[in-house]
Amino acid sequence: MVQGNKAMSKATESTVSTTCGYCGVGCRLEVHPENGVIASISPAMDGPANKGHTCLKGRFAHQFTRSDERLTTPLIREGDGFREATWDEAFERIVSEFTRIKSDHGPDAIAGLASSRATNEDCWAMQRLMRAAVGTNNIDNCSRVCHSPTSFALRRCFGYSGASGTFNDIEAADAAILIGANATDGHPVVGARIKQAAINGMKLVTVDPRRIELADYAELHCSMRPGTNAAVILGLANVVMTEGLTDEKFIAERTEGYEEFAALLAEYPPEEVERITGIPADDIRTTARIYATAENACLIWGLGVTEQRYGSEVVQLMCGLAMMTGKVGRLGSALLPLRGQNNVQGSSDMGALPDTYSGYRPVSDEAVATMFEERWGVGLSREKGLTIPKMFDAAVAGELKSMFIFGEDVAQTDPNTTHVIHALESLEFLVCQDIFMTETTKYADVILPASAFLEKEGTFINAERRIQHVAAAIDPPGDARTDFEILTSLSAALGHEMNLATPEAAMEEIAALTPEFTGVTYERLGREGLCWPVEADGSDAPILYEEKFHHPNGLGSFNALPYREPGEVADEEFPLILITGRRLQHYNAGTMTRRTRNIELMESDWLEIHPEDAERLWINEGDLVAVRSHHGRIEIPVRITDRIEKGNVFTAFHFPELRTNLLVGDSVEVNTGCPEYKVVAVDVRAMSEAPSDTPALVAAD
Amino acid sequence: MQVMIDGNAVEVEPGTTLLEAIRGSGGEVASLCYDERLDPFGACRVCMVGVEGAPGPLPSCTTLCREGMEISTTDETALRVAGAVVELVLSELPEAPGEHTELAAVAKQLNVTKTRWTGAVHEKDEDLRHPYLAFRHELCISCGRCVRACDEVQGAFALTVTGRGFSSNVAAGVDSGFAESSCVSCGACADTCPTDAIVELRLLELAIEQNGSGK
Repeated sequence: MVQGNKAMSKATESTVSTTCGYCGVGCRLEVHPENGVIASISPAMDGPANKGHTCLKGRFAHQFTRSDERLTTPLIREGDGFREATWDEAFERIVSEFTRIKSDHGPDAIAGLASSRATNEDCWAMQRLMRAAVGTNNIDNCSRVCHSPTSFALRRCFGYSGASGTFNDIEAADAAILIGANATDGHPVVGARIKQAAINGMKLVTVDPRRIELADYAELHCSMRPGTNAAVILGLANVVMTEGLTDEKFIAERTEGYEEFAALLAEYPPEEVERITGIPADDIRTTARIYATAENACLIWGLGVTEQRYGSEVVQLMCGLAMMTGKVGRLGSALLPLRGQNNVQGSSDMGALPDTYSGYRPVSDEAVATMFEERWGVGLSREKGLTIPKMFDAAVAGELKSMFIFGEDVAQTDPNTTHVIHALESLEFLVCQDIFMTETTKYADVILPASAFLEKEGTFINAERRIQHVAAAIDPPGDARTDFEILTSLSAALGHEMNLATPEAAMEEIAALTPEFTGVTYERLGREGLCWPVEADGSDAPILYEEKFHHPNGLGSFNALPYREPGEVADEEFPLILITGRRLQHYNAGTMTRRTRNIELMESDWLEIHPEDAERLWINEGDLVAVRSHHGRIEIPVRITDRIEKGNVFTAFHFPELRTNLLVGDSVEVNTGCPEYKVVAVDVRAMSEAPSDTPALVAAD
Repeated sequence: MQVMIDGNAVEVEPGTTLLEAIRGSGGEVASLCYDERLDPFGACRVCMVGVEGAPGPLPSCTTLCREGMEISTTDETALRVAGAVVELVLSELPEAPGEHTELAAVAKQLNVTKTRWTGAVHEKDEDLRHPYLAFRHELCISCGRCVRACDEVQGAFALTVTGRGFSSNVAAGVDSGFAESSCVSCGACADTCPTDAIVELRLLELAIEQNGSGK
């Protein structure tokens, strides 16, 4: 019997079930290849996160795989350009340069970036390459620049670095607060689930400096001044406390540190919070009551919380709010960070981080390090490596000589672009492994042609901690290879044979060395995946903390953290605050989506500005404006909209020609070094009029 | 509770529809306007089944199971009604539905090979303005699945049914095409469409190859 659109697969030769490689939702897809190319993609009806749905990226944006701009052969720098090379030549060059740099400056003069777009097995091979073949802990991934504050905070308060539940909590919740996330654009399928839940009666409160689409479906929308999230949460917690809406039993039996937390809350009555955040005191009260009096409620957040100076502190306060109301550890009451990329959870879980092995175990932990040394048969460093921003600083300072950048366009997506480019230019030797030429590969010495998610096998971990299988539907183009093959064979060339013949063998090693993955096998993942931690018998954990938190004493920790001003504030010279984010049609650096017909749906970007700001600055709809910050200047056309608050402007970062990240400075999150993309003081000015296209009047005949 | 399906006892939860009970227990019943992702709609009258004691066949998608109900998926009247409905639907189309479509599969399931009725058929009316999604209005059977998928799965509220009777069809926005409507290009409409009235461009090519009706 035909149900849904399973019939569609009959239109093409075959069907390969895999997991989407765009955002962190983790939609399961049915890919229909034909004659070696992707003919179409449809959503899997049994996908746990997408339930038979997907967005225009997952469903349609696969054309990039057959772009003639794909890298199909290794490239080696020659003068100002590149020449085509064989894999042997490329590897020989990398081995000789790494060997030279190691002998002259030691292994810590080399650093690597794993890719949050790649599989767990790729990231595993990458961190093993850096640790075991090169001999350094200088390995990081781009969760550094998105949800590292979430990871830090959740570990500190609850124990595990991941969502406390799954997206199924959304439908089970009676209320939810969505803070700092434009889900219908950034995570479209979860955005649709939140919207449907709100339509079906879930009380939604949106907290965002922009009036996002979901605000139209909310009971209440709270628009805070950028950078004041901590005050918002402290205000909500204050109302919960003063109105007696706390869950005393939960606080007493399952937590510690509440007294100090409560003492701090006294300083944040709603009127004080209104002064700091601009949100009316009564709206703070209403929001707190909606959340606290609901039987089950979720806190859902995105990079609007984390990419700020005190992002990890705000997440800790959110954990506090959840614990004081007993809203964690059961269906419908969860804390759900919307992870940015398809495998940003997994790349961090795999230990592609400078301070931890897989499962977030410190590199200084002697027992853990010894276990890895025995398995891999090499000595391993106990010293923490460099985070991404520190790598760039070290490169500029001349201490870091070489980088291996795998699947990340740092010259477009990392903050303070000028500094990043200075760093890349300062390196003696840069290797890039990617599927296209990017802003970053311009500075490379060797470029290795890699594979897209539709061309390889492995696993991704979505924002639910769900490990899902990824299968190859087509082959990499030309001489391009799978990332796993490249990394394992390069490691062997560097003298460290990994003995991992397939991604599945890598997962066996991950399971053997990582407690949270003990029971993971490809067979057990099946079609619907498993949410880690996975026990030896294969049982998984969609809901965490049902009985206790993952701390030695089993208690959740309240942390009393006061509101502090953001790293950048508007002043006379830079009177507006720039917020950056995503658009529905494109994805991050746009490397993939700009090479599909999505470009016809959105061909360029714009700056959103409030009508009153536009009027004051003599700016009209469509005008080209100059945006200047402490760090750089860009030019961009304007759209006037009252969906943004007065005093704020917004744009995305998908288009390399606009170079939005030139504007973002080096202000970073205090605990994790995550850049403050969401609060940049800027000045916006109309540009002098462009030459008129109107032909000059000619005399009438 | 327990119901009997074609003589076999099946345990179901209260609130289960007949269609869910039949398919859940491995049985077959044809349907056109039903999609498990959407609320039951009860519009097409193809999922008819016989129920002991009922005055006539019942639509299984909108009828709830009752304790002890005796359901027949092979009831002659029900199958005759369903077949006639599909024949009527086919009679309005200018061409046979593409082999890969759900309508073609349903027709086959009900042994409907041609239609007994002749009369007006829809005129070709294609809209290819969107980069991924095409309208082939002449294939619309007004089942409402696309409209409901847009509302209930995505929540974009971009699609609507316009016109009445034979002229009723689906439109994006105020018939302005996908791009000018509130469409977010998720493709849920094309995914659920049982006929290719809304179809992904790539599949449109395939449909045209199969039917030889393209230019």
